[in-house]
Amino acid sequence: MTKPVVNVANAQKVFGKKSENQFKALDNVSFTIEEGEFVGIMGPSGAGKTTLLNVVSTLDKATSGKIEIAGQDITDMKQNELADFRSEQLGFIFQDFNLLENLTVYENIALPLSLQGVSSRKIKPLVIEVAEKLGIKSVLQKYPVTISGGQKQRAAAARALVHEPAIILADEPTGALDSKNAHSLMRTMEQLNQFHDVSIMLVTHDPLSASYCERILFIQDGNLYKEIKKTGDKQHFHQQILNVLAELTSIHSL
Amino acid sequence: MLVKLLSSSMKKMWKDYLVLLFGLTISIAIFYMFETLAQNQAFLEANALISSIVFVFHVGTFILALVTIFYIFYATSFILSLRQKELGMYMTLGAKKGKVTQMMFLETLIIGIFSLIIGLVFGVGLSEGIARLLMSRLDFSGEGFEAFYPSSLVTTILFYFVLFLLTAIVNAIRVARKSVLELLHADQKADTKTIKGWKTFLGTLIAIVLITVGYVAMINMGDLAHLGVLIAAATVTPGTYFFFMAMLPFLIKRIKAIRSINEKGLNSFTYAQLNFRVSQLTKVLGTVTMLIALGLGAMTAGLSFYHNTEIHSSLMHGYDIKVHQPTEDELAEMKNWELEERNLYSYRVTDDGVYFSKHDLQANPPVIKEIGGNLEELSKEVRLTDDLTAPVYTDEETDDAESIPEQWQTALRTELMANFYLFGDRTLYILDQEKFEEINASTQTVLIGKVDNFTDYTDTLAKIDERHHQLAIDYTGEDPTMIGSKYESYTSLKSLANGTIFMGLFLGVAFLMMMASVLMFKLLSSATADIERYQMLRKIGVRQAKLKISIYKELFLVFLFPGLIGLVHVLIGMEMFSFILIEPYTKLWIPISLFLVIYGLYYWLTVKMYQRIVLPKD
Repeated sequence: MTKPVVNVANAQKVFGKKSENQFKALDNVSFTIEEGEFVGIMGPSGAGKTTLLNVVSTLDKATSGKIEIAGQDITDMKQNELADFRSEQLGFIFQDFNLLENLTVYENIALPLSLQGVSSRKIKPLVIEVAEKLGIKSVLQKYPVTISGGQKQRAAAARALVHEPAIILADEPTGALDSKNAHSLMRTMEQLNQFHDVSIMLVTHDPLSASYCERILFIQDGNLYKEIKKTGDKQHFHQQILNVLAELTSIHSL
Repeated sequence: MLVKLLSSSMKKMWKDYLVLLFGLTISIAIFYMFETLAQNQAFLEANALISSIVFVFHVGTFILALVTIFYIFYATSFILSLRQKELGMYMTLGAKKGKVTQMMFLETLIIGIFSLIIGLVFGVGLSEGIARLLMSRLDFSGEGFEAFYPSSLVTTILFYFVLFLLTAIVNAIRVARKSVLELLHADQKADTKTIKGWKTFLGTLIAIVLITVGYVAMINMGDLAHLGVLIAAATVTPGTYFFFMAMLPFLIKRIKAIRSINEKGLNSFTYAQLNFRVSQLTKVLGTVTMLIALGLGAMTAGLSFYHNTEIHSSLMHGYDIKVHQPTEDELAEMKNWELEERNLYSYRVTDDGVYFSKHDLQANPPVIKEIGGNLEELSKEVRLTDDLTAPVYTDEETDDAESIPEQWQTALRTELMANFYLFGDRTLYILDQEKFEEINASTQTVLIGKVDNFTDYTDTLAKIDERHHQLAIDYTGEDPTMIGSKYESYTSLKSLANGTIFMGLFLGVAFLMMMASVLMFKLLSSATADIERYQMLRKIGVRQAKLKISIYKELFLVFLFPGLIGLVHVLIGMEMFSFILIEPYTKLWIPISLFLVIYGLYYWLTVKMYQRIVLPKD
């Protein structure tokens, strides 16, 4: 039996001070992600996707509720503990890559390991291994500005993976990529998930990218609206996603 | 339309422009400050101990101009880096290259002229303020010094106007040469240098040769005179820049290449920060080094002149304190002083003679100073021996008595102050006890002593000298122009040196201020890009404390190299003054530790400020 890698219970996030107009970005959201799962989070703009990701990724604090990652409750951790937690348990992939442009690709990927105090002897084989997995071994010595968007995102993925985090959090990773590169990246993520048991939480508004997931949670106005699971092939799942999205739009237009 | 676009985008980025304006303004103000002294020939010649001071200032202008050119080109390239993305955007929307180039040209020039106006106003105020402060501290009237000096104003305006015109042209050419795409993506471009071994070697070699030649010139300043100053200025300045251009990128690359260091914690990021815009950094560090050398050098030289007044006054005086007929109050006060040597001698004064007791002189023979053959050699201290055998000695030509030996004459006249000023033309005698008792006058005493730190007691010594003057009036009927104490020669030498001290401190403060502003500019101008980087690091889970340490380390290296090399320049450079100062290295630790404390404090402040700007807030 698998154990949950992410467990969110009644998470609430309220913006604005008590005296002012308050806005509930998340309203009692609860869900779990099992180890080795590939879960997508979808929803229209402003539904609370990014807020949810920020709260799960410990970059932001939930107003109330409980969030556990890899069995650890992150809701009352201190800033330093959170930083350590992020560097050990989480891997990030962002839409705008977030690579440090003053470091080479190699150094960017090696950074999470250096931060954990892994000795440089052990770092090199690990970086090369993950670079091979993602097909960017040839650009390791280059600076981010000199490589393509697709390569950048693979480099970012490599950095997210290299320290074997409990879960990878991806925020619109295909947002800045063309469809070919987007496909290729999603296939790589799918393979990582299937063959290397990497747990992934993917936030996206792109139905095609989402169709690589095993399960998708739809968020609407800060609430969990619907959950669908992949039962058939990718095409079928894609259609399912489009249907739900259509439902969501029609609710909105009413 | 062009103007409208220009002004609206300038408004948008006013914070960045403020940083730039601040950097330029300080540079202009300092340049002007320097010129108020450099061009005021009358003031320089009237107040300096160095005969060729005007020439020295000309060379100083040359060095400062060189350093300023480097700095201004670096600073104005910041405008380009701020604006090129936007210019590229205009071009994608259809703006013609000529228009965009023109915009860049105008913008650089306008900012230059604007900062020139503020800088000059600021410069006049700063000159006035600092000059007044120093003058009141030094008790220096500073006649002839003018904070508002028209010819310096003109020079500064001309120099900077040409400089800004040049930088405007350079910026315009840079824009004109770049394609739209290059402009759009310019801010992402790394400028890490590809280092070729032979280039580093050649650069280092040139640096070492230049600096060595400069050092040799400075050490042999006495022989080379004007030529030496020129050689030193023309070699050490470019040598310093060469050193940073060749060595620094190489050094950082080397450190980065050591994987066990580079891949430890945040080190890879810290060194990358230094490596990323290394060519800009080398210019900044070269400039900072030269400013430290100039500033600290000027201050050290000024203070050196100050300390030399003490040494100078000790040349003639073996004893620091000489008190005739000390009063009860004076004796009581001197009890608290830490006297290394304290001798009392009895004497009697009649209408035509001053009689010293041989017994006292033999019991505690005093020391005298004997001047060596050449001026560079310090005077020697000689302890007199007990060789007075005759019952009576006198300094008058007579057959009745032996004449006082020459050394004893010096002792009495100088060290015991039995001189013409105090006693008029009375004859001096040294008598044995029997003869001494026969003199019909009351016994007086003169106290002489040595102290460790003469300058601590100047207040009391001034009062004692006042009493000496009164005493002289009593004995001779008139107030003498001088009295012959060490305190007296000290104060007169000091007033001579004050002008030079003033110049040294004035320039020292100016250069160090500019140094601070250059470093500040470097940091603030790179802060925007750094904010994003630190934000990313926080996201991937770097503790705040580690980010802080990284900033401490990065800035430490930025501060360390110029500080170190600037200090070496100063240490060698002080040798220049050995032909005019007796001991140029006396109390060198005072200005140096003062500098280290201020520099260290500035480092700490910069780190704190930088952390506030770039570190993400939780």
